[in-house]
Amino acid sequence: MADLIQFLILFGIGYFIGTRVEKAHYNSIKSRETIYLSLPAVNTKNLIDKDKEIEKGELVSGSVVISADFFKLIVAGLRNILGGEVTSYETLVDRGRREAILRMKEKARDADLILNTRMETCQIKDFGIVEILAYGTAIYYKK
Amino acid sequence: MKYIPQEIKSNVNVSAGSPLKEFGVTVLKLLGVLLAVYIILGLALDFITPRISLKLEQKIGNLLTFQLKNKKKLEGEDKLQKILDKLLVNASLPALDYKVHITEAKEINALAWPGGNIIVLSPLLKEVKSENEIAMVLAHELGHFAHRDHLRGLGRGLVLIVLSTVTLGADSPVSRFIGNVLSNVEMQFSQKQEKSADLFAVDLLYKTYGNAAGATDFLKKIAAREKLGRFFFFFSSHPYTPDRVRAIEERIRVKDYFVGKKTPIKFP
Repeated sequence: MADLIQFLILFGIGYFIGTRVEKAHYNSIKSRETIYLSLPAVNTKNLIDKDKEIEKGELVSGSVVISADFFKLIVAGLRNILGGEVTSYETLVDRGRREAILRMKEKARDADLILNTRMETCQIKDFGIVEILAYGTAIYYKK
Repeated sequence: MKYIPQEIKSNVNVSAGSPLKEFGVTVLKLLGVLLAVYIILGLALDFITPRISLKLEQKIGNLLTFQLKNKKKLEGEDKLQKILDKLLVNASLPALDYKVHITEAKEINALAWPGGNIIVLSPLLKEVKSENEIAMVLAHELGHFAHRDHLRGLGRGLVLIVLSTVTLGADSPVSRFIGNVLSNVEMQFSQKQEKSADLFAVDLLYKTYGNAAGATDFLKKIAAREKLGRFFFFFSSHPYTPDRVRAIEERIRVKDYFVGKKTPIKFP
């Protein structure tokens, strides 16, 4: 019985707090994405404007570690048995990717372009915690 | 090429739909699958286990009690074995090697394990005041062996344990939750078995001691501890205890069993 109560409490906290946290994170991501809209991060190696002189180029990276809430964990755990799309984790990794790109752009605040953007991911602990790393080469033109 | 900043409106990477709905649907599907497997495997094992040979049962019992045999004998085990041997003389039971083991635990209970093994949980002994009382408890467990109840329970129990640990892992809270729900369903099967084991026990007690005293002592103590109403016992492995006491008293009255003096006993 105590196990069940503990489970239900964690499940409730996971769902209600987890949903609020996710909503807040999405709001923050969306507003910051508008700010950095003018800084393109592309995955081509060469997209440099030939007419402009480059002042410097540097490695920039942004990384984020996000954890699933207990609710997502349980839904994914059940999905793990039946198979199929783990939709409960989709928002988690989506937030992770966008946050990592944003952090990378924040690192290259004054750059004109980020070239060769790459993303990597790894799981931390057994499951439910994910690290997403975005990195690229920030190009600064001479003003 | 000119870069035109554009806000992304839609998100193809996130599926539409409420996560709560996904949870509900997945749980229902899973419960359906588990229930089907449980019923099919449980029925199959329930069919097989009461038919296994005594030799195989003894082997399974030896495997299950392997650890109990290697540990140091607890005080009182010999005393219990003597009482059990007395009962065995008067009982016609499947030819197994009947042994009593005492195990440290928190609950007051005694269990019938395959191969004639009776496990008495240590707190039970603290409650016992007379030899007749503990003999009744042991005779009740012997009743399970006589009816081979312990093997029926074994089949379903095995399926339950295998299902929940294999699919969800032993420590998973989901596994524990599903296990609890299913074990409650499973428990119901044994209420009838408990009642017939009680009747077997009171007959054996009378045969052995020529006296039915102490037959309901232990159950009355349990009844006093239970504050739950009759309704809750629908979900329990044992029938509502006062009902059991009444059934035993009825048996003593109908068979006109003599009720005499009890032999006091004390366990350390």
